[in-house]
Amino acid sequence: MYDAIVVGSGAAGGVLAYHLNKSGAKVLLLEAGKNFRAKTFPKTEAEASPELFWGGGIEFDKRTTMGFLRARCLGGTTIVNQALLDRFDDVAFDDWRADTGVDWFSQDGLVRDYDAVEEKLEFTYIKEEHRNKSAHKFIDGMEKTGYEWGALRRGQGNCATDQGQDCIDCLNGCKRNSKQSTLVGYIQDAEREGLEIKCDFSVEHFEDNGDTVKVYGRHSGQDKVFETKKLILSAGSFGTTQILLKAELKHRLSAVGTGFTTHPQFLMFGVFDEIIDAHKGAFQSVKSDDPRFRPRGFKLENVYAQPIGISQLSPAIGLDFHRYMMKYRHISCVEVAVRDEATGTIALNSKGRLTIQKDLTDQDKSRSQDGLSIIREVLSAAGAKEVIEGDIHFGLHLMGGARMGVSADDSVVDPEFKVHGMDNVMVCDSSLFPNAPGINPSLTIMAMAHKLATQLSDGKVG
Amino acid sequence: MKSDYLSDKALKGLNTIGDIMVPAGEGFPSFSELGCIEHIDTVVCHAPADDIQDLNAFLGLLSMCPKFIVRIVINTTEKARKSEGKLAPTLRLLNAALRGIVFTLYYSGKHGEEYMGQTPPDIIGFELKCVPED
Repeated sequence: MYDAIVVGSGAAGGVLAYHLNKSGAKVLLLEAGKNFRAKTFPKTEAEASPELFWGGGIEFDKRTTMGFLRARCLGGTTIVNQALLDRFDDVAFDDWRADTGVDWFSQDGLVRDYDAVEEKLEFTYIKEEHRNKSAHKFIDGMEKTGYEWGALRRGQGNCATDQGQDCIDCLNGCKRNSKQSTLVGYIQDAEREGLEIKCDFSVEHFEDNGDTVKVYGRHSGQDKVFETKKLILSAGSFGTTQILLKAELKHRLSAVGTGFTTHPQFLMFGVFDEIIDAHKGAFQSVKSDDPRFRPRGFKLENVYAQPIGISQLSPAIGLDFHRYMMKYRHISCVEVAVRDEATGTIALNSKGRLTIQKDLTDQDKSRSQDGLSIIREVLSAAGAKEVIEGDIHFGLHLMGGARMGVSADDSVVDPEFKVHGMDNVMVCDSSLFPNAPGINPSLTIMAMAHKLATQLSDGKVG
Repeated sequence: MKSDYLSDKALKGLNTIGDIMVPAGEGFPSFSELGCIEHIDTVVCHAPADDIQDLNAFLGLLSMCPKFIVRIVINTTEKARKSEGKLAPTLRLLNAALRGIVFTLYYSGKHGEEYMGQTPPDIIGFELKCVPED
């Protein structure tokens, strides 16, 4: 019998497992993906996609217009993201409070938790002399067009980009233990202190028996059952919602699977005469920081990908594909990330597989067009000779599906993270977000996990 | 070559599709010249069993079609990237799967035993440096 089982090891699960284990509770951390470490992460982009992501690399919505990137490995999405760790602002929290009635949705309500996470992890801003040429093009374009930009706050230790390291490689898992994933920041420490971890474990469903919870799953092709006093679902928006749906909670809590949102990201490539090498050095170091953008519901970031990622966005096949790929080193890429409306749904099909409905609303489309027109302006001002717009957009921040709220009529989880009507089953991850914050969610997910861990450690578990 | 996941017919169909999507020219080898299909299992090994079954059926069917028919099918899936209509989501999914397999193999940096030339990442001048910390 465990005191707590945590399902999922990403931004929330890793933090929860660390703190609960530290408090003396007997904790089991379950992860559906593999147990990779700095020395064992896939070496190439081709190997990384199927090894580290669900769906063999990418999953799609029902209309196949939006691709979702969702990690499946110990450390979850914190292994493959860019570790951009910002606190939410009043705009995000005020909307959340108004939407849900949850009074701790505020900067003050999470200040101790933000502080605790920030004390545990390392942060940095890339110095001007270490920014790559793509970042300089972005800055140049922003300044020439009169928009404000800023440096991205990154969770990283020693990336050694000043010594010629190319940190785009860490999208396949950081080989230097520099990126502040939950694996590096929490799980490896907890493991040294006795945390029990089972990887390659897929949770199928659970059974709440009042005093305890039984967790059913499969490991190495065999059925397994564990019993625990507390079950915490931290498998992310898709994973947690899928487990709740399989537990047939939709009949009782109609909000399960609703309110899915994802900060849809639209890419635009500026092609320059000179070599840009956007994939070299500190490849993502700057963003828009213009106060006019926040109320307009979007932000811009300087991004790029390795050749396989860029090839998927080619506007053509055949010889035109080769001509497009020959521009690889000449491209500076900027994306617009939209603060989208929470109208998506997560459901299961007859085979028990996820189906995602995520149509862009008129407001989402308008915001993306607004952002893309600014990117076009910025890239042209920076000297781009050609601008190519990607025809597929992406969801990297998967949120909602088990929203938090005070009423079981329109939410799944109460303000103490408990599934309504269940004392021992909790949800703590981005699935409880009531709407899109418009800010990278990782740090706030970690802070929420710290909040729940503190709540449980104060006598409610172990 | 042999695959643990795709039939011989399916592999033949994939090579035909690969050469339409990525022909020789502009200094690049064709998909089949590169021989990257020899590494197909690293790309499809994590796909769900029913997806593999569907892929085998689809590629096997195309392997029996004349090349101009295969070209029409591929071009139809390409056009679906920007079109609406009832069939468009399915065609886009097919397009994403084919691009996913073909472009991933082509830019994987891997090649067949007989290929002696530069790989596509080398041709575009792609290189990365990441030295793990001691």
